[in-house]
Amino acid sequence: MFFKIAVRNIFAYAKRSIITVVLLACTTALLVFASAYMDGSHARLIQSSVEIYPGYVQITHQGFRDNPSLENLIFDAGQVSASLRDFPGIAVFAARFESFVLFSSADKAVGGMFTAIEPEKEMSISRLAASLKQGSYLTSADDALVYMGSELARRLKVGVGDQLAFVGTGADYSFAADNLTVKGIFQTGLFDFDSRASFVAKPYFDRVMAAENYATHFIVQPLRPEEAATLAAAIGRRLGPAFDAASWQQTMAGLVQAMRVDSIFGYITLAIIFIVIFFVVMIYTLLVIYARVREIGILRAVGTTPGQVLSMLLLESVLLGLASVLLGGLIGGALAWYFHIHPIVFSGFEEQFKQYGLALTAMPTDFAPLIIMRDMAIMFVLSVSATLYPIFKVNRFRPIEAIHHV
Amino acid sequence: MTKPFLDVQKISKIFHPGREVQVRALVDISLSFDRGEFVVIHGPSGSGKTTLLNIMGGLDSPTSGMVILDNEKITGVEEKHLSRLRRDHIGFVFQAYNLIPVLTAKENIEYVMQLQGRSRRECEQRSREVAEKLAIAGLLGKLPGEMSGGQQQRVAVARAVASRPKLILADEPTANLDSKSAAGLMGMMQALNEDEGITIIFSSHDPLVIGKAKHSILLKDGEVAADEFPG
Repeated sequence: MFFKIAVRNIFAYAKRSIITVVLLACTTALLVFASAYMDGSHARLIQSSVEIYPGYVQITHQGFRDNPSLENLIFDAGQVSASLRDFPGIAVFAARFESFVLFSSADKAVGGMFTAIEPEKEMSISRLAASLKQGSYLTSADDALVYMGSELARRLKVGVGDQLAFVGTGADYSFAADNLTVKGIFQTGLFDFDSRASFVAKPYFDRVMAAENYATHFIVQPLRPEEAATLAAAIGRRLGPAFDAASWQQTMAGLVQAMRVDSIFGYITLAIIFIVIFFVVMIYTLLVIYARVREIGILRAVGTTPGQVLSMLLLESVLLGLASVLLGGLIGGALAWYFHIHPIVFSGFEEQFKQYGLALTAMPTDFAPLIIMRDMAIMFVLSVSATLYPIFKVNRFRPIEAIHHV
Repeated sequence: MTKPFLDVQKISKIFHPGREVQVRALVDISLSFDRGEFVVIHGPSGSGKTTLLNIMGGLDSPTSGMVILDNEKITGVEEKHLSRLRRDHIGFVFQAYNLIPVLTAKENIEYVMQLQGRSRRECEQRSREVAEKLAIAGLLGKLPGEMSGGQQQRVAVARAVASRPKLILADEPTANLDSKSAAGLMGMMQALNEDEGITIIFSSHDPLVIGKAKHSILLKDGEVAADEFPG
């Protein structure tokens, strides 16, 4: 009977019900979409920053991260490779050797990063190969061929097939120099990276820089990137105290901090919206429910207990809340799904995005059903709790006061 | 000596007590009623008829005094207990009908029975029986908004009667009806009183209606001016 009365009241007061549902559904959709956008943009930020080059897990010799000098190199890369082989949770790993050299083309001399990579393995770890703009990517057999960033090539005024020279310090502190031919040019979109990074095959680098079996670090691609921190800890235990295995959260602490701050501001904004919505719903319910005090008085007069009236009004609130969050969740979920497939493109903001290290201006939302359900549950609790005060307030009337209430 | 079915002992009701302007609606009213009586409380407007009915039905509380219905105190008890008491023992008929707007006539009639936990079959059987007695069988599927005042009042009476209460309190039940409908309704209430033995106490200032009662109480300025048994 109470269910019947609750449902009929919802339809009898159609205007009130529609306004409530629309208000709550819009808020739910907003919350679902805002969460999806926030999570999606953070994921894209991680992807842009981590996957382009730095990688999810980095292994260095103890002390290298604080003092990246030749004393702190990994001097037995083969041993580290042997330890990592068949390690559970690792999809692929590769050694790198980062150094800095002076490049000199026919027109100009420019300093830059000169890094040895294992080209085939890097294809599964970083986006270097995928960022190819001109020419072709490296192979392990490439000798004196360089793959360089588009901005660096522009500054040196070289193109694919052009020659340039480099001069630097070998791993044994010797003087190292050679002529290189540009094999390919990449563009990640990270301006700073594109203007200083260049790569050569590790066998060539080892020979010319006297770095046989040396590495500055190893990069590990986990099978499950979201478990990078756990994997880093496990690798650290395996390799022992001479090595330092750090996840991207540690190597890119600034990025993590920035995302946390962004999330906090995002949630503060949402909380302010929720507080406003909470009071709007509460005041609106109070007005609507006060218009029904007489009806509540009748119910009480004929023997309905205060508890039964309370449960009937709560049932109405629950039904309206459910309808609202389902509708809002559906709309918000559909938007999250659509913009997950078709990312939002912030055209014209390329420069601003570059300042924050973002390679792409397209931001996909994150479509996560569990998060959507969490947001719907939050909105449901919010919507029902906003009606509690009005319900308790009108239920405190004595029957005769309620019947004669104007 | 047997105890009265409904005993009203020294009831006073003061509205706005403690304030400068107080309204003394009832002053030391003491009345007693036997089971199965057909009683009218009459008097001019503002004499306290409605207030007295509300207190006797547990809808309002007196400032002082006590009401005992069938050996059970209905004043000074908590609201939850009072709700159950109204549900199980008292039927109300209001001047403004006060039907539940979203329920059909049949559902309104069955509402109190359902609160009492009666079976669906029993509820349907009883609502049909009462509806036939009150000549509203054809209105059972209608919502209150689709019925005339007279029809709504008959549904209200049916709702009050259906749960077989010990007492029905009717506050000016004919006030909003034309004379023909009023006479018809009073005839039906009289028949219910006789057939089902329900004690009915109603208020009115309509001489035609007052004349039907077997026990008549006249209120003036919140006090009992006459307590008679004309029939």
